[in-house]
Parts: sequence; structure tokens; C-alpha cells
Amino acid sequence: MSTAGTIQASRIRKSFGPKTVLKDVDLEVASGEICCIIGPSGSGKSTLLRCINGLETVDSGVLKVNGEDFGYYETDHAYHALPPKKLAQQRTRVGMVFQQFNLFPNMTARENVMSGPVLVKRADKKESAKRAQELLTSVGLGQFGDRYPAELSGGQQQRVAIARSLAMDPDIILFDEPTSALDPEKVGEVLNVMQDLAKRGMTMVVVTHEMGFAREVSDSLIFMDDGVVVERGDAREILSNPKEPRTQAFLKQVL
Amino acid sequence: MKQATLDRSRQTVDGMDPALKPRLKRRSTFEYVAWAVSILVGAGMLYSVATNPNFKWGTVAKYFTAESILRGLMLTIFLTIASMALGTLLGLLLAIMRASSVKPIAIAAGAYITLFRGTPVLVQLIFWFNISALYPNLSIGIPFTDIGTAIDTNALMGPITAALVGLTLNEAAYMAEIVRGGFSAVGKGQIEAADSLGMSGAMKMRKVIIPQAMPSIIPATGNQVIGMFKETSLVSVLGVAELLQSAQLIYARTYETIPLLIVASLWYLVMTLVLSYPQSKLEQKYSHTSVRIPRKSKKVTLTAPEGIAR
Repeated sequence: MSTAGTIQASRIRKSFGPKTVLKDVDLEVASGEICCIIGPSGSGKSTLLRCINGLETVDSGVLKVNGEDFGYYETDHAYHALPPKKLAQQRTRVGMVFQQFNLFPNMTARENVMSGPVLVKRADKKESAKRAQELLTSVGLGQFGDRYPAELSGGQQQRVAIARSLAMDPDIILFDEPTSALDPEKVGEVLNVMQDLAKRGMTMVVVTHEMGFAREVSDSLIFMDDGVVVERGDAREILSNPKEPRTQAFLKQVL
Repeated sequence: MKQATLDRSRQTVDGMDPALKPRLKRRSTFEYVAWAVSILVGAGMLYSVATNPNFKWGTVAKYFTAESILRGLMLTIFLTIASMALGTLLGLLLAIMRASSVKPIAIAAGAYITLFRGTPVLVQLIFWFNISALYPNLSIGIPFTDIGTAIDTNALMGPITAALVGLTLNEAAYMAEIVRGGFSAVGKGQIEAADSLGMSGAMKMRKVIIPQAMPSIIPATGNQVIGMFKETSLVSVLGVAELLQSAQLIYARTYETIPLLIVASLWYLVMTLVLSYPQSKLEQKYSHTSVRIPRKSKKVTLTAPEGIAR
């Protein structure tokens, strides 16, 4: 199980029609590592993240998540797509937190958190409800279990979404600009929850514009532009001392 | 002090405090003219309806609750409920098939919808009634073997069965489009969230897509019910003794055509009005789209702290 929580991607290519959004991207994330991906919009960072949990398929390249080829199995001549059941099973080990939260509006906060274990893993309902309550408490929403998403603020919804991901006991959680849709004053509450997670040793890949979070929490940092990784390395090192001119220009704009 | 006396004196002079005067809406001359004209026209029509002896209101009253008319009404109600219920189920199935990623299934559903929406329902009804000309015997069995049984299609496809089959198959095509519209109203993010949790296709449909599509499907289905109620009058051409045919059977005997058509129309009108009340309630209930569909009343915890993460 030493491969749990790891991501190895090499020479990932992905095109949407004539536009190539990922051009031979490499990514290496160790178990328990916090990796932030930054870059201008349209640079392919969200697409890279979405490939890691199969919301997009890669055109070519090697993608191993938790040590297994993700979504495909390899033969001598090709990668063959896995049957849906197998893909779904791989996905349960990779949580995803979306920019727009994407909570199920027809379920309460607690039901949202329970949805994965009960509907997918067929876990016991009572046990799952208890677990959901613990998770909601851990993200500071212990009293909000019976609320519907529409009755919660953006920051609260995003914390429920994180709890929903955690309920599946994933080895990796992917965050796709988790604070970009939030009021500035609600950003902190979500980042705090993420920081807690990081301390507990969860492997996290975070696409973000929050340079403060990247600096404080992140182990490694990747700067992407136009489908390629321009610079990678230690987060604090890059943020305070970028080598590439493109990185310098970007950081000058956002810091 | 002086100010106060001044204020009071102004009130007595003008009779009313200006700050409390109501602000009146402006009515255009056109509105007054429109009132006058429509009252005149309405009164004229009422007078004509009341005094023209050819309306035979006595006959209308006599037949309004006649046994055969009420029996026809019952059959109309039965046809509406049965064809809507079956049509909705089949429509849901078609919509799910059409959303399938398995191409032949999606294409088959698409072809069905095109065929049944693209031809008049009256033609379809007559077609089903005459299906025995096409397939005189309906046999059930294993193809290319002798095992099975055959039934005379004419015996099976009586007028009421043909009416039910025709209305159901036609309604299914329209319901499929309504359901599909509801599906497409569910955000892409919802499907991605379900995918990222590892939900299977059927689970996604049952727990995420259908519950969220309901708010747009239910009011549209209500409209279809009202439409179907009136559409059933078409099956009178098959000789099914529903409401219109029951009226026709009477006036074929008595030649009181207009009074009996009024009887039928009044029943259609009454039933439509009866159905529109729950329909408008449904529309109100589901008009706040995309928000939430609480299934049970729940206690709301007030003034809870914002949470420890702060």
C-alpha cells in the first residue's frame, strides 16, 4: 500500500478539438504531499486536475493514481478503457472539490455527506449518518446537518463539499479553485479546513489563486502556462524566488 | 412652536396632510374605452345567448346529467388517467434511453419520438384501430419455431384498446421530450459531482438527475393532463362512447346538435377548470427553480455559531 496517495503522470497530452490544452505535462505527487498548481486561466491547470479523477480522459501519456493506471489498463499495444464499474471504484479513492461546490440541492448537508458511503459503498445508513455528523463537526458545521445547501452560505457549502469528499475515505483529494466562487470573507474558513486536512497527511492537489495558502501550506508548487509546466519546485522557493521570466511576470501581477 | 402652528394651519386650509395623500395610478383613456367596448360586446353576446331559442337551454339542462353523458364523462376521465399514467412511464423510459451513451438505444428512442410527434394523433388513432389490416394475427412465440400462440388482432384491438394504445404511444413521445428537457436543466456540475463520488449510471439517474429534474417536469406534466383531457375527444372517431361520442349519439337521434355540443363543452370546461387549480398550485410550488425540494418539514436551527474553522 505504499503507492496509496501517489500520483505519477508523464507526458500527458489532451486536446479539445484543435486546441491542445495539455502538452506533455509531467506530475509527480508523493503520498501526503500538498501540491499547488497555479497559473493564468486557460493554462490547463483545471484540465490536468480533472484528468486525475477521470472527469476528462487523457489523449496520451501515462497516468498512475494510487499506483494504478487510471481509467485504463495497459496491454502491449494500447491502453484500454476500464469498464464503468472499475473506473467508478478507482474514483472512490480520489475525492474532488469543485469551484461551484456542486452539492446535491435535493439532499440536506448530512445526506450530501452520506451520499457517497450509502449510495456507492452500500454502507450502513445509521453508521454513515454518525460518521457524517462527525465529519460535519470537523469542518465546523455540526449544527447544520439538516439544512439544505440553498440555506447555507458559499463557505459553508464548500465545507460540506469537503466533508462529502472525506466521507469516501479517499487517498487523494483534488481541489479545483475551491475558494474562487466565495465572498472574500468566507475564503478563510475554507482554507482553514484545508489546512487541517493537510496536517492530517492527506495527499492534496490544489488548483488555486490563493498565493498565501500556497506559501503557508503547500509542499510543492507547479506553475503552468499554455498547457506546459513552466516551473516546479518547493512552494516557498518559487513564490519568493521565481527563476523563469514567465513565472516572475505572473507572480508580479497576482502578489 | 411657531413652526407647529404653521403646520396645523396648513392642514386645516388644505384639508389633508400632503404627506399622507394617496398616490393614484394613472389610467389611460384607452383603458376607459376598452372597458366600455367590452361591456357592450359582452352584454350583447349574453343577451343573444339568453334570448336565442335555438340554444335550447332547457335541453342542455335536461341532458347535462343524463346517464349516458355521465358514463361518457367517466370513460373520458378513465382514458385521460390511463393514457397519461402509461404515457408518462413510457416517456420516462424513452427519455432515459435517449440519454443513454449506448448509441443504438439512443437512436431507437429518437426515432420513436420523431415518428410519434411527427404524425397527427388522429391519424395514429385510426391507424391502431385498423392495425389488423396490417397484421391480421398477433402471434407470441419464439421466432423461427412452432412454439407460441396466435390471437386475432381484430378481437384484441377493440375501439377502447385502440384509443388507449394510440393516446398512450403518442403521449409517451411528448412526455419523453418534457422529461429530457428536465434532464438537461440539471447542471453539468451535479453530474460531475456524482461521477467523482463513483456513482453508477443508474444511481446517478435515480438519486441526482431525476429528483432535480422533477421541478420542471411536474408542472409540464400537469399541462399535458389538461391537454389530454380534451384530446380524448378525438377517439370519438373510433366509436368509443366517451363524452363527445355520447353527446353525438344523442343528437344523431334527436337532432338537437347544438345543445348537446354545449353539454359536452360545459363538461370539458368544468373538468379543465377543476384540473387547473392543482396545476397552478403545482406551478407555484415548483416555480422557484433550481433551489431545493425538501421532502419533509424540518426543524431549522437558528443562530448557530459560524463554526470553529473561522
